[in-house]
Amino acid sequence: MKRYVVRRVLLAVPTLFLVSVMVFALMRFMPGDVATRMVEGHAYAPTLAALRHDLGLDRPVHIQYLDWIGGIVLRGDFGQSYWTRQPILDEFGRRFPVTLELALLTILVSVALGVVIGIVSAARQDSASDYVGRVLAILALSVPYFGLAVLVVVLPSIYFKWTPVWTYVAFTVDPLENLKIMLVPALVFGVTRAGPVMRIMRSALLDVLRQDYIRTAWSKGLAERPIILRHALKNAMIPVISLIGLQMPLYIGGSVIIESIFRLPGVGLFFFEALTRLDYPVVQSVNLIIAAMVVALNLLIDLSYAFLDPRIRY
Amino acid sequence: MARRARSSSCLLLAGVLLGSLVAAGPALAQSGAQPKRGGVIRIAEREAPGLDPHLSISFLTHSYVSLSYSQLVRFPNGPEQKSPTDFSILPDLAEKWAVSKDGKVYTFSLRKGVKFHNKPPVNGREVTADDVKYSLERFMAKSGFRDRFEPVTGIDVVDRYTVKITLKEPYAPFLNHLASPSFCAILPREAEEKFRDFNNPDAVIGTGPFVLKSYEKGVRMVFERNPTYFVKGFPYLDGVTIDITPDAAARLAVLRAGKAELPHVWGWISPEEARSLKQTSPEMSITPYKVIGQGFIYMRTDQPPFNDVRVRRAVSLAIDRKSWNDALLFGEGCVDAGPVPCALTDWKLDAAKIEPAKAKYAVGYDPAEAKRLLAEAGYAKGFTMPIYHWPGYVVPWRNYYELAAEDLGKIGITVELKPEEYGKYISTTALGKYDKAAMGPSTPFTEVDDFLFGRFYPELPTNQSHVADGELTKMLVAQRRELDPKKRRQIVDDIQRYLADKAYYVYVPQWPQYVAHPPYVKGFRHHDGYGLGMRLLYTWLDK
Repeated sequence: MKRYVVRRVLLAVPTLFLVSVMVFALMRFMPGDVATRMVEGHAYAPTLAALRHDLGLDRPVHIQYLDWIGGIVLRGDFGQSYWTRQPILDEFGRRFPVTLELALLTILVSVALGVVIGIVSAARQDSASDYVGRVLAILALSVPYFGLAVLVVVLPSIYFKWTPVWTYVAFTVDPLENLKIMLVPALVFGVTRAGPVMRIMRSALLDVLRQDYIRTAWSKGLAERPIILRHALKNAMIPVISLIGLQMPLYIGGSVIIESIFRLPGVGLFFFEALTRLDYPVVQSVNLIIAAMVVALNLLIDLSYAFLDPRIRY
Repeated sequence: MARRARSSSCLLLAGVLLGSLVAAGPALAQSGAQPKRGGVIRIAEREAPGLDPHLSISFLTHSYVSLSYSQLVRFPNGPEQKSPTDFSILPDLAEKWAVSKDGKVYTFSLRKGVKFHNKPPVNGREVTADDVKYSLERFMAKSGFRDRFEPVTGIDVVDRYTVKITLKEPYAPFLNHLASPSFCAILPREAEEKFRDFNNPDAVIGTGPFVLKSYEKGVRMVFERNPTYFVKGFPYLDGVTIDITPDAAARLAVLRAGKAELPHVWGWISPEEARSLKQTSPEMSITPYKVIGQGFIYMRTDQPPFNDVRVRRAVSLAIDRKSWNDALLFGEGCVDAGPVPCALTDWKLDAAKIEPAKAKYAVGYDPAEAKRLLAEAGYAKGFTMPIYHWPGYVVPWRNYYELAAEDLGKIGITVELKPEEYGKYISTTALGKYDKAAMGPSTPFTEVDDFLFGRFYPELPTNQSHVADGELTKMLVAQRRELDPKKRRQIVDDIQRYLADKAYYVYVPQWPQYVAHPPYVKGFRHHDGYGLGMRLLYTWLDK
């Protein structure tokens, strides 16, 4: 186990190195030039050359890369925004809890809905409830979450003079108010993500239910509930957990639109605005932090398999 | 003594005192609506890219910080304004000013006893002439709008309350630029020394009607009434909050749901949104305003084929402006949109007053004649041209690009629409760095000079069509040097007559903006320009 974890952490290093090189290079391939925009539209410096020097953009590209990555590795310094000159880590730290909370609530909603409907569908295969569950899953899959979000915000404002949009309050300030604000976006995002969870849950459970040890359980005269919940579900959860791990970047990416519609001050908008302003250090550092998180989360998920299925050994 | 000697040679042009402001109260009372004090107005709007008025040209930055800053002079607002484009000059921090006979020296006398907001490190100290010199010199060094002060050669402190600005030549747009909200905000030097620039919310320390109390990034800006604002009794509101709402549908939804008073920093919604809002929320106050705005196809007139006036005229004659107006703008738009925008009524010479044979090349629609002109210019089989653009501009821009391609296709010009990423568009194409042709809107300037000199003077980045026309250039310079408004108007009229058949830019219809808010918001009137503070000075809530 220990060796496995160490090996995985070591493997993460080349992964993150590749991510850092790619995002660094891609930013520089983006059309437009950040220095031109900052000087011609915003007068951050008297001349283009002066600003390039100020931002360090006049140095060779590999030096710029080493300076950025060196700051992170050696000093834990993720740099500062070209435009606001504020430390990136501060802003990220302020905003990340919002996105994380949204992601966790979304996962909670999608898993709760997807797993329950998936279990019912699998346990009652080809019954009316199975068909209803499958139709709901396809519906959830085919409705884009951003479209649903706009409808949820706009329709009640027209018909009931009410809309589920509030001004954000942090959980630490007022937990109840915070949950009220986060609930609707999490539901919207969660419902649309519950579709794939339900479908994976259903097929995995059907697969498990056909295995020998389940047949043995039936033959021992066990009731349906303990067979499904105690014996089958744990094994059937492995692909569901994998799916959640794979969907993690989607929660961060999708948060741009959800955060924008429900006016939540999360990482999504911070990242998106930095991208449109060609704020290289912000895009690079935020990307790297999120990549590191995804890598870490996938490691945790892999380790959780051992808990779900004791036959798995590392 | 030296100042007295100089001022005796000065011609006092303006001295409108506080009276005009104080008179606003009784004027409102006579109209039957007695303003009530109190209440907070909530505005749903996007986040500004920064707060430093010199480090951003964003209308959001300028509007937000205009709540907290004052200038030397300002435009009329609320009950003072005759129209949304009334750009007469009123005193702000300057109590009065004088202009020398040769038009090159402006002497401003500051109000005494005006205090900055009581925030560290400034702590409510008095505004002096040093602050004016510091702020205007910073504007000249840093602002993206700094070329407006190009004729300024010196800013001198005469005494604690007097500032003298010297120009190299007479410059008619000068006071208008000084009055443009927040470009020339008077800032305290200590704040920059402590916070490096004015982007930090703690550095937003001015003398304006509202004090920035808190700013939670991505969430909300909270402004409170400035208790020491130099116009006694104003503002009526206790405060202003900006709830950061990036999404347009959400902004309209919070207005409908009673969670915001303004769905946009100036209350703007499009004609299409106005129609929908009238249906769903008939109680809303929805007022159309003809606002300064302009859009056009711009071309490399220094290169073939657009260096041939016949080709440019053909492009202009191909555009069916009336159909665009009917189809997309409910017929409410203005088809005679350039070179001076429709709303700039003090300067606009309508196409109807120009010789029809020339005006048709500015506003006419005649595809047969367009084809004939193309053939005459040697393009009987037409040609292919790109139209570079940013597809993200608000409705109806996306349709505009497509309609332009369609209309030009009818005369044999094949258009390749070339969408660009915003950053690339705004830092290259919009500054004249493109191949053949492009299309997009203009910044809604408040001074006619920006639409003429800025758009047509050789080599300027805002001269997007690369115009270099000797005869025109002379007139462009003459109008900005003429200080007599009537004589200047004549030159501006001559320029418009001259430009009518040149088709350097092909203007497309301009639409009105609707200002929407609940009926209990009173006294909020639209005024063109990047300001908000003065509009909210006279705004009150009747609830």
